[in-house]
Amino acid sequence: MSALLEVENLNSYYGDSHILFDISLEVAKNQVVALLGRNGAGKSTTLKSLIGMVRPRSGQIRFDGVPVHGLKSHAIAGLGLQLVPEERRIFGSLSVEENLVLAGLTAKSRWPLDRIWEIFPRLRERRRSRGTELSGGEQQMLAIARALVRNPKIILLDEPFEGLAPIIVRDLVATCRRLAEAGQTLVIVEQNVTAAMTLADRVYIINNGHMVESMSAAAAREQPELLHRHLGV
Amino acid sequence: MITWPNFVSQCFNGLALGALLALISSGLTIIYGTLGVLNLAHGAMFMLGGYAGYVAYEATGSFAVAVVAGSLFLAVVGVLMERVIIRYFYSRPAEDQILVTFGIGICLVELVRLVFGSLSKTVPPPSWAAGISSLGFMFYPTYRLVVVGIIAVALLALFLVLFRTRLGLIVRAGIEDSAMVDALGIDVDRVFMIVFGIGAMAAGFAGIVNAPVVSLTPDMGDAILVQTFVVVVIGGVGSFTGAILGGLISGEILSLTSMVDPSYSGVMLFAVMTLVLMLRPQGLLGTRSQT
Amino acid sequence: MIGRLMIGRRPLLVEGLTALGLVAAPFVLPPLGFAPDTVNQAVVWGLFGIGFDLLFGYTGLLSFGQSAFYGTGGFVAAYLLTKAIVSSVILGLVIGMIAAAAAGYLVGLIALRRTGIYFAMITVAIAETFFFLENSPLSAWTGGENGIPGVPAPSFDLFGIHYRVGTGWSMYGFLAICYFIGIVIALRIVRSPVGAILRAIRENPSRAAAVGHNVHGYKLTAFIIAAAYAGLAGGLLGVLQAFMPPEAFTFDTSGQLVMQTVIGGSGTLFGPLFGALVWLSLRDFLQAALNLGAAWKLALGLIFVLLVCFLRRGLIGGARDAIGFFTGRWQTGTADTIATPAPTAPMATVGPSRRPDETPFSGPVIEARGITKSFGGLVANRDINFSVNQGELRGVIGPNGAGKSTFFKMLTCELPPTSGRIVFHGRDITGMDITAVCHLGLTKSYQINQLFNRLTVGENVVIAALAERRGRFSLDFLRRIERVPGLATQVESTLSLVGLAARRDVPVAELAYGEKRRLEIGLALASSPSLLLLDEPLAGMSPRERAETVSLLKNIRRGRTLVVVDHDMDAIFELAERITVLHEGAVLAEGTPAEIQRNSLVQEAYLGGVAA
Repeated sequence: MSALLEVENLNSYYGDSHILFDISLEVAKNQVVALLGRNGAGKSTTLKSLIGMVRPRSGQIRFDGVPVHGLKSHAIAGLGLQLVPEERRIFGSLSVEENLVLAGLTAKSRWPLDRIWEIFPRLRERRRSRGTELSGGEQQMLAIARALVRNPKIILLDEPFEGLAPIIVRDLVATCRRLAEAGQTLVIVEQNVTAAMTLADRVYIINNGHMVESMSAAAAREQPELLHRHLGV
Repeated sequence: MITWPNFVSQCFNGLALGALLALISSGLTIIYGTLGVLNLAHGAMFMLGGYAGYVAYEATGSFAVAVVAGSLFLAVVGVLMERVIIRYFYSRPAEDQILVTFGIGICLVELVRLVFGSLSKTVPPPSWAAGISSLGFMFYPTYRLVVVGIIAVALLALFLVLFRTRLGLIVRAGIEDSAMVDALGIDVDRVFMIVFGIGAMAAGFAGIVNAPVVSLTPDMGDAILVQTFVVVVIGGVGSFTGAILGGLISGEILSLTSMVDPSYSGVMLFAVMTLVLMLRPQGLLGTRSQT
Repeated sequence: MIGRLMIGRRPLLVEGLTALGLVAAPFVLPPLGFAPDTVNQAVVWGLFGIGFDLLFGYTGLLSFGQSAFYGTGGFVAAYLLTKAIVSSVILGLVIGMIAAAAAGYLVGLIALRRTGIYFAMITVAIAETFFFLENSPLSAWTGGENGIPGVPAPSFDLFGIHYRVGTGWSMYGFLAICYFIGIVIALRIVRSPVGAILRAIRENPSRAAAVGHNVHGYKLTAFIIAAAYAGLAGGLLGVLQAFMPPEAFTFDTSGQLVMQTVIGGSGTLFGPLFGALVWLSLRDFLQAALNLGAAWKLALGLIFVLLVCFLRRGLIGGARDAIGFFTGRWQTGTADTIATPAPTAPMATVGPSRRPDETPFSGPVIEARGITKSFGGLVANRDINFSVNQGELRGVIGPNGAGKSTFFKMLTCELPPTSGRIVFHGRDITGMDITAVCHLGLTKSYQINQLFNRLTVGENVVIAALAERRGRFSLDFLRRIERVPGLATQVESTLSLVGLAARRDVPVAELAYGEKRRLEIGLALASSPSLLLLDEPLAGMSPRERAETVSLLKNIRRGRTLVVVDHDMDAIFELAERITVLHEGAVLAEGTPAEIQRNSLVQEAYLGGVAA
């Protein structure tokens, strides 16, 4: 089976600062891929390059067989890739419901809001609240819901658990696991390695902009010293 | 001598002027909020709206046609301006954006001067709104009352577009984080174009509605542009409600000061702007993320 | 570097050429179709524009309100002269200029409260107010719409000969002398430390403040200078026309000045004169020769828009680029160059700051006592205690969101803490601004390069070194920058310390990324800090550049106290003597690298403490 997302020799820059060096990775359908690395390693830049927020200087990205490198974000999103960005970036002046309606505007097939409320009952209670009035955990739920509304083929999650209380992280991890079990393909970037490892089928490790390891999650679990070397202190 | 009817009538004048300024300023402020471009050609667009209405009126004799044609023409001008020039300036420094819109404004003014000459043109009010109305205790020009009504309707329409439509939803989100809007599958470039068209249309609409009250000259937009700046500085740049509040405040300041001594009205407006800058530099309702 | 050599070896070349051009004009221009009156008007506009160019082209402040000062100077001079309160025309002009400068000071206080589009809008509104004031409330003095007629021409008594300036080329002689004096002073300003700092403010105002310059003060200075030039030009307009027109105060006047400056080329000083000649000759040519009437201004508008779109540096800038292109040399030109003098003293290494006023102090160099920072309800830093000893190299690490950047910003006084104190060399610096702490000897290099991009490597370092040499604010705008004592040595040794001595004359834009990172550190070093904070010095570097920078840091640390934040664990553990680990806004651990590596709390923080 060919991969849903194939990335080959990706090179990205911020201004003239070279961030990603020949990054390659693959994501199969129904798979959960964890992209790990210390902060500053280039994980977020990888996700931003995939969705077109950062334009890669060179390399190939094929999504569902279609080359997407160099396309604008809205075109890539239209093909079924969706980013849940770092720091959530929800629209603070819009209500919860407006955030979701906005996301669904151009979606080819759209989740009904009731389905979103089933997954995140808390958001239904707060549907009329402005984004700025939400707690951190609620904002993160909204950011994930905003991606789900578009029924994407792949969701890219950038640090979804950052800055949240442990109990909320536990809930969100459970939600992500339910999504994964229902067949949602996920790419997750996390510093919280423990949380990410409970979800992942496959693990990639980035260090200083280079892809240094690629293995199944099972193999990674058997080599804690490897994770420790690349991610620990 | 300040009499009671005189005072009320000046308040009405202030309301009419304030509503006009509010409409023009909301166009300026929506463009700035969404695209990040300060449009110095905005005054010229106000003027151009008046002339476009004048041409339509001369051709058809209908004021309603003039209003519709004038606003639509300006929407087209705005869209063209954005597509041909402005969009190449999004990534350039703010100074360059200011310079290029300033230059475009000059070109529009001079183009109108070339075609229509420097002598003033007039558009009469629609026949049903000509003359004077009695308000019981005083008389007031009917059309001025109508202007307040028309502009209130236009502001309401703009409000509904912003807060009750999909386009408005996109624009409000775009003011906050346009890159994220794009990542949600919405072509932000096209939205920018539409927003510029709407902003230009607001100025053009104000221009034609205001035409029967004044006489049209090619450089009539300059003074309005300056007042519009004061309005958004007072109200807060990028804030729709701030533009309305700032407009009404400015209109009343200008009118009520005129009642005492017309020569001080501009000075008083500036004094209030300075006061706002001292006490609340971001403007009365200005918090960059608010629509 | 032709431009640079011209200044270095023949310091008066530009002045000489200007004098030559001004003398030649009456002989060269008439055959080209220029009437003397046109040339005279252009000279007045050119003088007006010198000030505006210092403000816009050099300092980066786009004002649409210069008409306020043009009018003020003009009307004050015209009033004094026509009412015979002052008999000497020169004295009248000078008083007008001073009045304009005073108005500039007051307006600047208000307008400079904001930057960017706000600044532009406020200047427009203020200028309009001046017009209102002239037109009605002050019309008893200014003549309102009628202006002031009968402004006298100057006359001189030299060696017993009485000479009265007439019209035409006679007036030109007087105006040309004024212009020449104006340009000579402007060139001095541009070549002075103040001129260098103005350009730094144009490129990056926040970094200019961070390396120790009082940005607001210098902006206000530029605003006042521009107003003074405008006031003098306004006075000369009255003298030239024997009449002071109220139109001097209109928005059109400001607009025309902006357009002429951009057409001629901003940041060149001569651009406004050149732009005015183009403007006035096009007007005459299109109106008279082609009988195009009103179309001339449309043509100018189109030219202006095209220039802004495609040739933002104007005709002079474009010509200079073309010459540079054909001769294959990059030329930053004569007027937009900061001299970076060769060292005259033997090379010395930049040591740590030895500030004479510093009282000997034993104890921590910097100490944070229980600092907390909250943004609204969110607590970014909680009760952090932190101290670094003399000569130490401290590493600060922590997972994403640990609050490192907030903590760093509080140490350098970019952000005030919500509670707690920060003590530097025993002195409480809580609540001071970043410029003040830079002068105390505390500075930082940024995670994202904050350089002066259109200046050269050497010029960048000059900007940073100037602050220590002459304080946060000094009005030495007639002193040549080469004469600042000790500057050359300091610049040279900083450049060699960061390995950029050979790249001194290269514009920053042409540097490789790794070189820019080193220059970023160099800017911080040039102010001779006793404590240097480095925010992710290795960010975005290739492995080779990392290795180079690590050895550079080892070199720098000799005799200095350093605090380094970075994600590169290998580098931090190699460099640092002690490491502080932040986690969730608080100090999680502190110790030697070995202790930190053994600390299970730290490992857990990095690997994710939450078992799901």
